[in-house]
Amino acid sequence: MTFAVEVKDLKKSYKKRKTKEKIEAVKGISFQVKKGEVVGLLGPNGAGKTTLIKMMCGLLIPDSGSCFVNGYDMKNQRLKALEHISVVLEGNRNLYWRLTVRENLEYFAGNRGFSRNEVSNKINELLERLNLKEKENEMVNTLSRGMQQKTSIAVALLSNTDVIYLDEPTLGLDIETSYEIRKLLKSIAVQEEKTIIISTHDMPVVQEVCDRVIIVNHGQIVADDRVHNLLQLFESKAYSFTLNGHLSSESINYLSRRYVVNIRNENNGKTILDVNILKGEDLYEIIDLLKANQVLIEKIDRTTVDFEEVFMKIVKGGERFEMVESL
Amino acid sequence: MKWWNLFKSNFRREVILLKRYLPNTISMILTFYFIFLGMFLGIQIVGDPSSAEMNIQYVIVNYIFWYLAMATMSGIGWMVSNEVVLGTLEQLYMSPLGAYRIFLSRIVATTIIELITISAMLFISMLTAGTWLNIDVLSIFPILLFTLISMFGVSFMIAGMSVIFKQIQSFLQISQFLFMGLTFVPLSIAPWLALAPIVKGVDMIREVMIKGVSLVDFTVVDYTILVATSVIYFIIGIFLFFKCEKFAMEKGILGQH
Repeated sequence: MTFAVEVKDLKKSYKKRKTKEKIEAVKGISFQVKKGEVVGLLGPNGAGKTTLIKMMCGLLIPDSGSCFVNGYDMKNQRLKALEHISVVLEGNRNLYWRLTVRENLEYFAGNRGFSRNEVSNKINELLERLNLKEKENEMVNTLSRGMQQKTSIAVALLSNTDVIYLDEPTLGLDIETSYEIRKLLKSIAVQEEKTIIISTHDMPVVQEVCDRVIIVNHGQIVADDRVHNLLQLFESKAYSFTLNGHLSSESINYLSRRYVVNIRNENNGKTILDVNILKGEDLYEIIDLLKANQVLIEKIDRTTVDFEEVFMKIVKGGERFEMVESL
Repeated sequence: MKWWNLFKSNFRREVILLKRYLPNTISMILTFYFIFLGMFLGIQIVGDPSSAEMNIQYVIVNYIFWYLAMATMSGIGWMVSNEVVLGTLEQLYMSPLGAYRIFLSRIVATTIIELITISAMLFISMLTAGTWLNIDVLSIFPILLFTLISMFGVSFMIAGMSVIFKQIQSFLQISQFLFMGLTFVPLSIAPWLALAPIVKGVDMIREVMIKGVSLVDFTVVDYTILVATSVIYFIIGIFLFFKCEKFAMEKGILGQH
């Protein structure tokens, strides 16, 4: 089976300029992305996401390992592989500010070998679809950040590639524009059946747009699963206890040492204990501890988690999740 | 066809930006003219009157080639530096036709635009000086073509340097004097300079424009040096550019500012 994107044991290290200390930015990352899949690439700053994306685009040569796009090796068939990829790079790095929206679209299409006539209809269609028609003759430097980002996405869509990489597509956008971009990405994913890889810090993007998420930390994959599965997995591990009474300081210290907890003493003499557990047995241990403190358990609820919490737990908790069968 | 579309697209971009930066374009042309005027008046006032006309003819040809060399060879360095500042260099490297083809298109586009400007400026310079050069297009064109090929080779060397070092403005400013040496020093004074890029071509064009010689008057040795230096510098330029590109991609400094 040919995957849209296949990454095999990619490694990259740098030497620090002053100290010459070797930094392993990517430590042997492997994964495959099927055609039409929308994958979120998550990770804290310095996790190795940008290095990974750049190697996948062929902008950075790995120390070892390989990356294939529709079967084309990025190392030996780079230009052939690039025929299948378009990229929206992070920030304002995709457009010429002294060219208009239409001129930018025509220019970058030209750089892929398309004539203005060939892309004219497609440009009109994209301008309409992305609500950029009124701005087509305006210079990019006069547009809002959101409009600029939409223009960058239009440039990527214009080349009609099967695979699109987006590096932080909602970075620096206000809530409304960010929502609009998420909606747009979702519609591209659904209507055009493109393979999309989104590197982002924006959890709503992952939750709303992506089918699958790959979490990278310290240059390694720490989680690779369906977004839905990860949410479910963590939902089943997060509990909220409503207690009649207060916990002793020893018990609070013990719980804090062993688990990720949040304890709130309410005015009505009740205590809310939010706790994340790793194993089923932990739940019984907590119940035993509460019994020993002679506090009455009024209610135990499963807590709803959003993807931000999932991400924090995986990255901060150092947990490691492998790809599920369903992939 | 894809190459042609790529070229058209880059040519169009250059023309749009020239129009959009019109005051800059006009000031560039005026600067060119006023420097020429300064040299012309200098020769008239302090030069030997018996050789004044010949000197003026030399100045016109040399100055025009110096300007063309700066625009073409340094231009690409400025262009890459500018792309890095804008942050668009990496986006150019995402073209499936290859960044080198984009750069080549831009060098050719710039050269065509500069040649048009220079032709107009040449006419104005001759009009101002009241001295007319031999504009034998049929003789000049093939020599100019090979001269430009070696210019493009040097352009690629400079582009490669820019890809690695990004800010090479100081070097580009110094290189102006290097180009001045290549275009102003006659081969009769330093024959070994014929092996340097563009020098042989400029010398042959000088012969055509000032002494009125035609293509048949040149020897096989002249043509051999002209073609060999053009091809060799072009190949070296492209080779060095690819090496620099690979180095930047290995070190992760391609888009780094």
